[in-house]
Amino acid sequence: MTQLNLEQGCLPGTSGSTPIFRAEGLALHFDDGRTRALDGIDIEVDEGEFVAIVGASGCGKSTLLNLIGALDTPTTGERYFRDRPYSAMKDLADFRRQHIGFVFQSFHLIPTLGVLDNVLVPTIGAQGPAAGYRERALELLERLGLADRLRHFPATLSGGERQRAAIARALINAPDLLLADEPTGSLDSANAAQVLDLLSEVRRERGLTIIMVTHDAGVSSRADRLVPLRDGKLDQSAEVAR
Amino acid sequence: MTLFEFALHNLRQRPARSLLTAMAVALGVAAAVALTGIASGFEASWQKANDARGTDLIVTRLASTNAMPSPFRAEPLQNQLRGYPKVRDVVGLLSEMLSVDASAPPLFVFGWTHDSYLWQHLKLVAGRWPANADEPVVVIGVVTAELLHKKVGDMLEIEGRRMPVVGVFESSAAIENGAVLMTLDQAQQTTDKPGKVNVLNVKLDPAATTTDVDAIKARIRVEMPGFIAITSGELVGQNTVVRIAKAMSNATTLIASLVGILIVFNTMLMSVNERTREIGILLALGWHRRTVIQLVCGEAALLTLAGGIAGVLVGVGLTWQLEHLDLLRGKIDANFPLSFLLMMPILAMLVGVCGGLYPAMKASRLAPSHALRQE
Repeated sequence: MTQLNLEQGCLPGTSGSTPIFRAEGLALHFDDGRTRALDGIDIEVDEGEFVAIVGASGCGKSTLLNLIGALDTPTTGERYFRDRPYSAMKDLADFRRQHIGFVFQSFHLIPTLGVLDNVLVPTIGAQGPAAGYRERALELLERLGLADRLRHFPATLSGGERQRAAIARALINAPDLLLADEPTGSLDSANAAQVLDLLSEVRRERGLTIIMVTHDAGVSSRADRLVPLRDGKLDQSAEVAR
Repeated sequence: MTLFEFALHNLRQRPARSLLTAMAVALGVAAAVALTGIASGFEASWQKANDARGTDLIVTRLASTNAMPSPFRAEPLQNQLRGYPKVRDVVGLLSEMLSVDASAPPLFVFGWTHDSYLWQHLKLVAGRWPANADEPVVVIGVVTAELLHKKVGDMLEIEGRRMPVVGVFESSAAIENGAVLMTLDQAQQTTDKPGKVNVLNVKLDPAATTTDVDAIKARIRVEMPGFIAITSGELVGQNTVVRIAKAMSNATTLIASLVGILIVFNTMLMSVNERTREIGILLALGWHRRTVIQLVCGEAALLTLAGGIAGVLVGVGLTWQLEHLDLLRGKIDANFPLSFLLMMPILAMLVGVCGGLYPAMKASRLAPSHALRQE
């Protein structure tokens, strides 16, 4: 059972070892500080942990996920990946490519590409043999039950299939950290359960760390730990570790 | 999937726009190719005609840079030049662009000193040459014969003077194949310029060296004020028509390039604006900003490369058609050096990269989180 570190106001991980991700005093302000999307976020996530960021709509969940994924730059505060500050990283694109996998609520597949090509998109322009990536993409799609959908365009797939294709794309570069923004938000309950089962399996198989944003209590119940947000701040009183 | 394949795929997704842009570029390239080919051919044809005649030096008016230099009295200079060392022969030439037949476009009419070396490079394919300097007859080039539907025995009316065709000849220079030829005396009578020529063709001893040529040129400059001796290459290079043709082809290439840049700029900017979210996805998935630039510029370069290749083919085809128009037959002999034809698609690609650069930079600067929120 994880205890809240109330002295430091920080939500620690569960293992006590070096966290895979850590943030200190993270804030994101707009309009010269009049709008505070996030304010004073301190958080730690351990290797292999499955964390759900929960909260009402507009509380800053996706904004926090974007900051963790280096898609946005905080107004103040620092983020660390395995104790390495993001601000010291020369190339955040490389960081995203090598360490982060993204799964979005609306899938964000490229509509004009087939499933296999969508999965291969993150490898374009990357170092490494094209044949190796292709082999890996085929393995992933086979594993995710899309082997017979390689040439299908996203518009011809069901919601569940699209999200599985997006998960395959997120895993193509063998990331350490999977960031999922409402991954079941556009799915019916059966497909949502299937996707969550899949994420759990992938996490177990690959020792993946998952940070997921959701407002669905049923979905968040799959996580090891809940990180609640309210009005851009951590709601430490509501943090739950399982 | 490679970046190249992805760029090609993106272009195929917008076939109408890609085709229209490539066609616009192709038209610009075709115009530049046609004009440059004609200008280059015009220059080469004049050069070839002069070279084929075996002339070493051409004496003409100092300030004259026209295709047909203004006429002057030949005899005093001719006699003087014949006394120069290493000069073997000095032959007068009078040329005019004249109406030969009411239904035909104007043609070059050349008058050459009878029995001079100038006639030796021509090949008679029918009939005979003029028998003497005073015989009022013409011989015509093979293209002229075809164009005017004339053969040996037919009559030609030149400036109101009817003259029989006594021979048909062929030359290695296209400009001569499309011309009418008579003796210098007959040309002077026909154009009412007795004793006058446009240029004097000087043939030197085969043993004459470059130093000898330079010495003759220097001497003419001193002893014949107002006149200059130049090689055929120099004459063609200074020719106003050749220079205007070259300037026009260069200007067309420049304008086509600028228009091409604007067209590609517009196309790629529109494409980038429509694909904001897609570019956001690529950036979120770990694409470098430089990879996005390479993608957009690559798409632009592929578009203009296709347009450039098509433009070269269209330009060459268009010129071929022009060469066979009655109005221009025998007057243009387009010349397309391979290096020029290869350079045009490369230039078109550069145009594409230039036009695509700003849209590419704009795309690469998108904030991924912001771009992902775009609908």
